[in-house]
This record gives sequence, C-alpha cells and structure tokens, in this order.
Amino acid sequence: MSAALPIPVIQLLQVLTVALGAPGVTGVIAKVEARLQGRRGPRVLQPYYDLAKLFRKEALAPEGASWFFLAAPFVAVTAYLTIPLLIPVLTTYGLPLGYMGDILGGGFLLSLASFVIATAALETGSPYAQLGSSRAKTFSAITEPVVLFVVFTVALLTGTDLPYALAATVRSSAGQIIRPAHLLAATALFMVILLETGRIPVETHTGTNEFGMIEEARSFEHSGPFLAMIRWGSELKQLILYTILADVFLAPWGLASTQKLGAVVLAIAALLAKACAVGCVVAVIDNSFAKLRLFKITEFAAGAFLIAVLGVFTLYLGGG
Amino acid sequence: MDPVQAPGVYEGAANVIAAVMLLIEFGLLRQALVRDQVRLYMAQSALISVLAIVIAADRNLPDLYALAALSAALKVVAVPLVMRRLLARTDPGDGDEAQGVAGSQTLSPASAVLAGIVLAAIGFFCFGALKIHGPAAPALALALAAAMVLVAFGLMIVRRDVASQAIGFFSLENAISLAALVVASGLPLILETAFLFDLLVAVVVFTLLIRAQHNRSESLSTADLTRLRG
Repeated sequence: MSAALPIPVIQLLQVLTVALGAPGVTGVIAKVEARLQGRRGPRVLQPYYDLAKLFRKEALAPEGASWFFLAAPFVAVTAYLTIPLLIPVLTTYGLPLGYMGDILGGGFLLSLASFVIATAALETGSPYAQLGSSRAKTFSAITEPVVLFVVFTVALLTGTDLPYALAATVRSSAGQIIRPAHLLAATALFMVILLETGRIPVETHTGTNEFGMIEEARSFEHSGPFLAMIRWGSELKQLILYTILADVFLAPWGLASTQKLGAVVLAIAALLAKACAVGCVVAVIDNSFAKLRLFKITEFAAGAFLIAVLGVFTLYLGGG
Repeated sequence: MDPVQAPGVYEGAANVIAAVMLLIEFGLLRQALVRDQVRLYMAQSALISVLAIVIAADRNLPDLYALAALSAALKVVAVPLVMRRLLARTDPGDGDEAQGVAGSQTLSPASAVLAGIVLAAIGFFCFGALKIHGPAAPALALALAAAMVLVAFGLMIVRRDVASQAIGFFSLENAISLAALVVASGLPLILETAFLFDLLVAVVVFTLLIRAQHNRSESLSTADLTRLRG
C-alpha cells in the first residue's frame, strides 16, 4: 500500500474518479430522496444501467440539424472532464496541469459546456428544447454576478484565485472556517449549485411537466448515445460542483497529501463520501420545499446575490 | 495582494451570528406574511441571546447569562405571543388570507432587497470608517448592527401596514441590542435590563396603535391615513 504513484497517474485518476463516480452520486441522491418519501426507490446503480441502455440505442437527429447538434454533447462532456484537472479532487498539492486555469477558468469551461448544449437545442426547432435553453441561459446570466462575488471573496481571502490556495487556507485554522466571509460565500455557492443542477426550489429534477422545465428540457431532441452523453454530462457537472463545494469550501479534509497509493485510494473514497453527503442535504431540501414559480427564481438568485455581496462587505471592513 | 487575515474563533463566531441576524433582517424585508415575519423575528431574537451567551463564555461576564435568559423570555416568547394574539384578534376570521398577507410593499421584493443592500452598504462603511474598538467588540459586528438598523428603518418605510411596521421597529431594537452587546457588554446588568424593558413600552404603544388603526378603518393598512379628512 505504500507504493508511490507517478503524478500523471494521479492526474488521470482525478478525471476517472469524477467520470465514473458521477452517475453513482446521482443514484445515491435518487435513492435517498425515495427513502425520504417512503418509497423503495431505484437501485443506486440505476444511472449506470440507464447510460448503458442509451449507448446501445439508435440515434436520431431532427431534420435540418447540422453537425453542431451531434457534436455538442461530446464538446460538453470534454469540457466537464477537463475541469477535474483544475480543482483539488484528490490531492492537497497542485498537480502540474492544475495551474492551467484558476476558478474563472473552471467557470468558463462550465459556461462553454452549457452554451454548446443550449445552442444545439436551438438548432432542433423544437419549442420545448428552445424554451429550456432560453431559460437556462437567462438564469445562468443572473447567477453570474453571484459567482463573481464568490470569486472576489476567495481572492480577498487568499490573495489568489486558485482553488488549491483556498482549500489550503481553510485547512490552516479553525478561524478561517468560522469567519463570516467564508461561510457566506459557501452558502451563496451552494444556492448557485442548487440552481445550476436544477434542484428544488428551482426545478423539479424528475418532473415531466414541460412548462416547469429548465435544464431538463434542453435534451428533448437528443436520442441514443447523444442523449447518454448529455445525461452523463449533467451528472458530471453535478459532481464537479459538489467537489468544488466540499473540497474547496466546506471540507477540504481527507485529500491525499502524498503520492502514496493508500492515501490516494482513501482520497477517492473520501471524495465520493463527501459528494454523497452534499447529495443527502440536497435530497432533504428537495423533499422539504416546494418548487418556486418561474418568476420567483430571480428572487432566489437575488437572495444568493445578497449573501455573496455581504461576504465581500464583511471582508472590506477587515476581520470578516 | 495580501490575503485578509482571519479573526479568531470567538470574533468569527460573534461576527457570523451578527451576519445571520442581518440576513434575517433582509428576510423580514422580503417576507410577505405577517405570521412568518413574527417567526423570523423570534429567530433573530433567539440569535441575540446566543450571542450574549457566546460573549459571556468568552469574556467571563456571568451577568450576560442572566441577560440572555431574560432577553429570550421577553423577545422569543412574550413579544411574539402578544403579536400573534393581536393578529388573531384583528383577523376578520373568514379564512381570507388578505389580512395575513402584509402585501403592502410600496416596492417590489427585488427592488426592496436591492435598496436594502444599498442601505446596508451605507451603514457598513460609515461605521467601518469610525473604527470603534470596544473591549469585547469585533468591529465588524458593530458595523453589521448599524446596517441592520438602517435596513429595519427601510423595512418600516416600504411597508404600509401597522403590524409589519411594528415588527420592523422591534427588530430595530434587536439591532440596537446587538450594538449595545458588542460595544458595552460590561454594562451593569440593571442598565441592560432597563433597556430591555424599553421594548415593553414600544410593544404597548404599538399594540395601542394597531388596535386604534383597526378600530378606525377595519384594516391594518396605513394607506387610508394619507387622505385628508375635514
């Protein structure tokens, strides 16, 4: 267990952990949600079976859709799989490719992925897919300021905007955890994550009513392997956002500080456990709140904005 | 750029409690149901008792435990009870929600929150510029209290019903208690208690006001008061 892993292998493992763990985390959330409602719920492995089934199915594209429609899911998944290189997934020390981009770089990749999927949905001419992508873009535009203020907070806390630096700062002392700026920024980020992953109170994750759909509606015209890629992409996005919340903001413990095999395996288990813990909180929220009306979502975003702005205010006074 | 240094755990905890109180103040500003406003006010009052306990434990001021208990009894139990009974009495009782919904905002909720952010910013930076450092004072908590005072004023201005205005006033008192706790936590208990009982005077005055308003116009809205009557 004490064999040291080469750095490139660890870097690859970061991507593989996210890639293979993401459907499992979704399965755990679905299971917990069902148990909370008194149902038995699907198997935890169900998302894997779903993906496998979709990969075997025939793919159809609407008439007039160009190559972009077919390429979009793959571009999105590629973008999502690049992000785990930039954030602390398994290690406390920055890996060589980890400095390719900072938090904003990760943000750009997330936006790129959601942009190509939205554009592909526009290509189809299907009204619901277009409705969904238009809404998704609107709401991501109003959460953008929140994300910016969270990044400002991180920059003021650490003097950089590297995710590794914030994780190290949070680990350094209890005073760093309990300071209001940190807690406010983490809360605002959590609200953005609820919005971005399409959970209650913003969107019913398993709903079938097209009028309430935001993110879910975008994939209406995709089928077969392409649909599988989009599904997998949104599961990846969810795990990536949970990883940022858990490993950078809330609980950057359990990461490997050496290259030892044992430490890295432990870090993989810790990451999945933390993601499932965040998922359980999300499932509880799913079950205890009602979905907001569409026009109330801006108020939800305004609340997150308020929290993020307060975080920056407290820092400017010092002692925040 | 240098990172902003972290305060200690005690200061951090005090500041977090103050920040949550400010957030609840924004919740009051945003909340449409008077009943939920009362609930939020209870939460805010409970937090100030928690803060008193934190300061008492950290600064060895046993007086503050008594103050915390007294303040909790008054603000978490007594005042909300009075408010609820008052609301139940002024409710027409036909199951109509019209009375329960304050619904009296002169601004839309989003604009109200934005105006609140501006007010909070003014309070923040004015008090930050004063650089007051008390013995038990995290300077930030004081600035948060100032922001809360201004937001509570804003709440009283943008609401047009007497019940919401009363709750705005009570939460304003919470903000002032927060400031007092932070700046002058070493004050003799008797003085602190005396300040606390000022709140009771306010409660009596507002009770009378709400009843008088309800008797006169069968509603809690102050919109009718703007008309001149000969």
